[in-house]
Amino acid sequence: MRASHAGVLVLLLTAGCARDLPDTPGSEPPNVAEQPGTPPPSAKPAVPATPQRASRAAPPVAKRSAAAPALDLNTLEAQLRATKAIGVFTKITLKNQVDDLLDRFREFYQGGAKITMKDLRRSFDMLMMKVLSLLQDGDDKLASAVVSSREAIWGLLADPKKFAAFEG
Amino acid sequence: MNKLAAALVPLLVVAASLAPPSYADDEEEAMRKDLTAVIALHGLPCGQVVAVKVLAKDDYAATCKDKNKYRVYLNAAGRVIVDKQE
Repeated sequence: MRASHAGVLVLLLTAGCARDLPDTPGSEPPNVAEQPGTPPPSAKPAVPATPQRASRAAPPVAKRSAAAPALDLNTLEAQLRATKAIGVFTKITLKNQVDDLLDRFREFYQGGAKITMKDLRRSFDMLMMKVLSLLQDGDDKLASAVVSSREAIWGLLADPKKFAAFEG
Repeated sequence: MNKLAAALVPLLVVAASLAPPSYADDEEEAMRKDLTAVIALHGLPCGQVVAVKVLAKDDYAATCKDKNKYRVYLNAAGRVIVDKQE
């Protein structure tokens, strides 16, 4: 059971990475902007993301080779499961919080919730920051893998079709 | 022989005090860090967990540097619960 506690995080990350490999960047922001109640705020976090990705892709070999392992699904999954930077209980807590966030996305897409995409983006950013805070001192490599997967994961969550496919 | 033993005792004492922490110490330190992170993730004040007592499997009593005490446990639904203790 414990081995699966990091599972949701792994799932999110790996799903995000799976998308990141074949897709070209830049498709996420328009999808985000299409959501109800989002316009300016969701576009706001997406804006810095685009140049980041561009700069990650553009600057030559050094940075690219550093980010490359982050996009390897098996490595990423194995690293998240194996990392000692995050304790077991912390992994379970993060898994709980990922589940809560997914529930909020579900509510949002079902239309019954009062939350906006801006709220969801804020929650997502906070959760990613928590993960990064926990990883950055103990597992720098994995932290950068998470950073490079971040917008891809958001792209998956913020697109109702992709989210539904992910859920299904 | 007695002189040799007398000379060795202080050396052994010093060596023992310089010995690396045991596995149990490492494990407890890891648990303190883990619970510190869990309590922080729940947004509760603590600072740093300074003592941990195992109450049962996946059930701990944590004492924080700021004197707050929490029971941290895994419930049947697979959620980590942090309860403040008086």
